[in-house]
Amino acid sequence: MNFGEILVEALTLTLLYATPYLYSALGELFVQRSGVLNLGVEGMMLMGAFTAIFAIAPAGLGAAPLMGVLLAAAVGALMGLAAAVVNVTLQAEQGISGIGFSLFGLGLSSLLFKVLAGGVIVASGFEPIHIPLLSDMPIIGRIFFQQNLMVYAAFALVPISAWVINRTKWGLQIRAVGQNPAAADTMGVNVVRVRYTTLLLGGALAGIAGASLSIALTGIFQENMTEGRGFIAVALVYFGGWSPWRVMLGALLFSIANNLQIWVQILEVQIGGQPIPPNLLIMVPYILTIAVLIFARQRKRLEPAALTKPFQRGEN
Amino acid sequence: MKNSRYLALLVVVLLLALIGTSVQAQAPIRVALVMPSSITDISWSQSIYEGLVRVQQELGGASALEIAYTEGMFDVTAASQALRDYAEQGFDIVVAHGAQYGTSLFELAGDYPETSFAWGTATDTGADRGFNNIFAYEAAAQEGGYVNGVMAGLLTESNVIGIVGPVPAGDAILYINGFQQGVYAANPDAQVLLAYTGSFGDTAAAAEVAQTQISAGADVLTGTAQQVVGAIDAIQAAGGLWFGTQADQSPNWPDTVVASQVYDWAPMFRDMIAQRQNGVLGGIVYRLTLENGGQFFAYGNFELPAEVRAAADQAIADIEAGVVYPLAFMPSEIFRVAVVMPSAITDLAWSQAIYTGLTNIQRQLGGTDALEIAYTEGMFDVTAAAGAMRDYAEQGYDLVIAHGTQYGTSLFELAPDYPETSFAWGTATDTGADLGLTNVFAYEAAAQEGGYVNGVMAGLLTQSGTIGVVGPVPAGDALLYINGFQQGVAASNASANVVIAYTGSFGDTALAAETAQTQISAGADVLTGSAQQVVGAIDAIQAAGGYWFGTQSDQSVNWPETVVASQVFNWAPTIGQMIDNILSGTLGGEAYTITLANGGLRIIYGGVDVPADVVAAADAAIAGIIDGSITVARELPGQ
Repeated sequence: MNFGEILVEALTLTLLYATPYLYSALGELFVQRSGVLNLGVEGMMLMGAFTAIFAIAPAGLGAAPLMGVLLAAAVGALMGLAAAVVNVTLQAEQGISGIGFSLFGLGLSSLLFKVLAGGVIVASGFEPIHIPLLSDMPIIGRIFFQQNLMVYAAFALVPISAWVINRTKWGLQIRAVGQNPAAADTMGVNVVRVRYTTLLLGGALAGIAGASLSIALTGIFQENMTEGRGFIAVALVYFGGWSPWRVMLGALLFSIANNLQIWVQILEVQIGGQPIPPNLLIMVPYILTIAVLIFARQRKRLEPAALTKPFQRGEN
Repeated sequence: MKNSRYLALLVVVLLLALIGTSVQAQAPIRVALVMPSSITDISWSQSIYEGLVRVQQELGGASALEIAYTEGMFDVTAASQALRDYAEQGFDIVVAHGAQYGTSLFELAGDYPETSFAWGTATDTGADRGFNNIFAYEAAAQEGGYVNGVMAGLLTESNVIGIVGPVPAGDAILYINGFQQGVYAANPDAQVLLAYTGSFGDTAAAAEVAQTQISAGADVLTGTAQQVVGAIDAIQAAGGLWFGTQADQSPNWPDTVVASQVYDWAPMFRDMIAQRQNGVLGGIVYRLTLENGGQFFAYGNFELPAEVRAAADQAIADIEAGVVYPLAFMPSEIFRVAVVMPSAITDLAWSQAIYTGLTNIQRQLGGTDALEIAYTEGMFDVTAAAGAMRDYAEQGYDLVIAHGTQYGTSLFELAPDYPETSFAWGTATDTGADLGLTNVFAYEAAAQEGGYVNGVMAGLLTQSGTIGVVGPVPAGDALLYINGFQQGVAASNASANVVIAYTGSFGDTALAAETAQTQISAGADVLTGSAQQVVGAIDAIQAAGGYWFGTQSDQSVNWPETVVASQVFNWAPTIGQMIDNILSGTLGGEAYTITLANGGLRIIYGGVDVPADVVAAADAAIAGIIDGSITVARELPGQ
């Protein structure tokens, strides 16, 4: 393979494997823009991942793939609702409760997996869809137009999210509640209701992110299969400066860094006649993320001022 | 004249030496047997006498090998006198054929340094007390017992099987333990009734025990020692079946005795004679096993169903290959094992392999009443794992297994606090002996061996010439496997390109899938990989229509058309050996390695229609590794 071919394959896989980050990070973006930090994304993803595979596997419920995604979204939304009760109504410390939800999702998904599935269950989910004409284009066709439905939907979600947040009344309410909940409250915006809805949406998207892991990327479920991707999603929201487009860029950057390090490994790229230790390569995407976070401080422009601060009428 | 006196003495000595050697060359080898029962007891004594007679015939009769024997020596004092008499008479080899004769033997062996003594069943040659003229021998009676048990378990219709034992010791207890394990392995629902008569020769007592067991519903019986003739008679009258041991018991009851485990002592005597000619008078422990031909099976006239015979033959083959390990001991009270592992017991890889090993031993020992298994899975956090191990030790578990190299430091800190608890650590080779620890076993898998075999097949099956390896981290068991795999590919297809990538994780399924897809993009059509993460990679290669080679557990279950073969870790024999050690008082200090040769590693094929030449190449690789003509390096140059 020449370098160009490798790059095409790398980009194709980059888009595919950026999918779970996109769903989960965009969901988290809505939540954070309304002033709530949801660290429970990881647990919601795990619940979604299990729900989806169990819904569609022949050994499970045998439903259609889309039904699996819908059920995963519903389960994620349910967890989002629980997170809303804890964080918004009961005003718990958001960082701590979020970790609680992550551990809860890890435990419950593992338990359900054991009880309902008993072991590895396999399901074929979404097959790649070749978009007519477009997929025949050289290079572009392979990278962009031979992906599966979950990938297309994830990327479609980026402009939709940007539009909802910046151009709709609900988006305005979300931004207002995240910046200054007291003022929004005075203007007649129901702060509690807005935060409930963003957490419901964030939970649902985390559930879908999990579903994309289990039924669009791998076709199986394993305990703790998210392996910290939910926390990467939270980091990507900061990384992307609370803008959907930049969150997408972050997801792509992280994803391509990861895919390229795999290529470096399999092509046995050497530096000074020595192979690069795999452990070093595996760290690259994470180091890159930290580096970009350090050098991108000015992105704090969009940071919701009320982030992590519970709202109580009469305070502030 | 002092000098001439010395000269005369020298001449006399030389003459004597000459006479001595010439006499030795012509005189027959003289072997004496002292036995507790008669040479026609169709069991213990008959088997050794017949073995010796066979050697006599081979050597050319009584002029080459003189046999003397004293039978019926149930009185140990009388036996002691007989042994001394034979030694006094200058017999070359004096055999004390009974565990009970040991004390007397050690008292007299020192007085006859030129005489070889043999003592069985025993494993003690007295070497640590300075004896060098005692051979010890024992029969691994549990092996044949296991095979008999398998047949008995399959043949019983009432699901009740009786065992008529003499005393719970020596050869008898080994046979009885093995028999029970065979029954449970073949038929977990069967009930085993075990009763001892307290005697070796009380035929009536044996008959009574047998009849009592028949009344309790038993339709298949076995038993050991010369007393059993009474029991065989009883089960024949009841129309049931009998399984024999020690000697062929079918001639008198051809329709009742299904099969007998027969001891063949001839190879042992041949070797003892050869050793003496080389000046070795003792110090060797002989074991009669199925593998070394010390045991074989004799069948009666009973029409054994083909599937039962096949199961027996399979059991024999499995025991010979080390795939099945009949324990010498059965726990007298519930034996409690706890295992701490980094992933789930259903991970199709690392943790599943040890759990399957434990459940196999559990079934063999008779289920949850005999062996309790406690486990903590998903312990990727080493600190949490250390806590779990301490809890298990605190709760008094007999054996606590730390199933992960990463748990070693914690284990070594913990083991001294619980000297009564046995610990096992894998994969590792360090039992902590340097630190003064005596209660830690270590175990590892020679994963490079199966890796080589898989690699040979992968090299032949690839059409694109590119083979991908999805590794977790370049260390431990995974690295051994991957190194072996590369050597195998190089051996079968020098032009093939192996692309390796590590995920840095053991459990990141999605990353494994991505790595696999990247390798597929790079042209790979055959993949392999290690750790529980690989399920994601298998799915990816299945979607691409390629082949997968697995390791640790059989991974073909979910992807039968994609997984060509898996190297399966069979930990059951290792766990069995540890339990045997613990039950005999050794709590640690041994390191085990499972290999293709000892049956701990096996290549299990999936549902792929593998071309015959590929299978032949794999078989040749396995045979070469076992016989040593192929050596697979643990490390590659430059590592």
